[in-house]
Amino acid sequence: MSIFPYFVSAWLFLIGLYGVVTSRNYVHLIGCLTVVQAATYVLLLAVGYKTGAGAPIFADHPPGTPAVDPVVQALVLTDIVVGAAVTALLLSLVLQLQKHRGTIDPNDLQPTRD
Amino acid sequence: MMLVIGGLLVLLSVSGLGVVLTREPRRQVLAMAANGLVLSALFMALQAPDVAFSEIVIGSVALPLFFFVSLSSLRANRKRE
Amino acid sequence: MNHPNRSIAFIIMAVVLAPFVVAGLWTLPPFGSYPGPYGDVINAIGTSARHITNMVTGVNYDFRGLDTLGEEFILFASVTGVVMLLRGARGEAKSAAALRIEHRRREGRSEAVAGAGRVLAPITLLYGIYVVLHAQTTPGGGFQGGVIVFAAILLAYLGEGYSAWRRMARSAVLDLVEAAGAAIYAVGGLVPMFFGARYLENILPLGQPKTITSGGLIAVVNLGVGLAVAAGFSSIALELLEETRTAGDDQA
Repeated sequence: MSIFPYFVSAWLFLIGLYGVVTSRNYVHLIGCLTVVQAATYVLLLAVGYKTGAGAPIFADHPPGTPAVDPVVQALVLTDIVVGAAVTALLLSLVLQLQKHRGTIDPNDLQPTRD
Repeated sequence: MMLVIGGLLVLLSVSGLGVVLTREPRRQVLAMAANGLVLSALFMALQAPDVAFSEIVIGSVALPLFFFVSLSSLRANRKRE
Repeated sequence: MNHPNRSIAFIIMAVVLAPFVVAGLWTLPPFGSYPGPYGDVINAIGTSARHITNMVTGVNYDFRGLDTLGEEFILFASVTGVVMLLRGARGEAKSAAALRIEHRRREGRSEAVAGAGRVLAPITLLYGIYVVLHAQTTPGGGFQGGVIVFAAILLAYLGEGYSAWRRMARSAVLDLVEAAGAAIYAVGGLVPMFFGARYLENILPLGQPKTITSGGLIAVVNLGVGLAVAAGFSSIALELLEETRTAGDDQA
């Protein structure tokens, strides 16, 4: 259990990347990118965790009680929201791609060689 | 608590695999919503309520909406040609 | 490269790089024993230094406020990109409510969905505003509360249908609110410089802990982020929804 969360994060990164590489549909590819992002969130939060500690909110108990690291939580929470906006940008790129090229299959969209 | 975190991590590995292996985009959106739910439970177990807030709303409201609306207009544009 | 070559290259590189990844992960501190001093220092001094009780908000808007400025402008740039791509391709033809595309199958809205949307939208909006305002005391903040307000706007869309929602959520208003939110952050950081302090330094009166006016500049910046996130996500949703329709005349 002492390094299990880090391996879960590496596993999620690996299968997310596998999904990106072997995808047949650009929308499916964007979904696999969200899995890769989830891997980074798990890694960051696992690094900051302290056994037996509470949340870093001291509204009802004095500031001396053990608490987990707030810095990684700040990083992850802005990242989740901004990641969703970037996903929307990627989706609008896919929409434009379909209008211009008529297909959203990565295998049919090889770079032109002429 | 360690048991809960361990169980949620195993569940997360399985749900992440489910998102990747679901090739049909409309079904993949539901797999992503389930993945988001497991992620938010894991964030709560790791004592991060702010992060769980963001992930619950993004994973079950924002991302499914963006994906479903994009898929609907992709299908409409495809039929128009 | 085409599909089978891509998979083979991926598998080969994954196998080659796996020992490095494992070796790197092995040297991390064991799960549950966070060693670093930075988090403990912030937990210990946060309440006395800034009069806040939510340390994550303190890190986000005060101790590492410049990083959050960068993140907010990533959000701003993404929203601008979506709007430019979709609205630019469609043209700026003003349409109060776009028409449906002709051959799309039309299914009526279920009354249960409409009723649930109408009931839940104001409650969710109130909850979202509460979460934004209580950033310094309880779990919450601009980012979380902003997306909850966005969820309330979407529930209004579910409850009212597209035409009525389009009259409520005008793109001009959403653009204005989002730009105002981003400007509050960037310009609000300039105000301390007029008083001789550094950019984004917290010189406003810090207030009492556990009130919504504590934290000084954190309260102002947090409001800016909440506005920008809510309006930005609503702009994205509006543009994506407009894509499913054709441009029409001004029609009820």
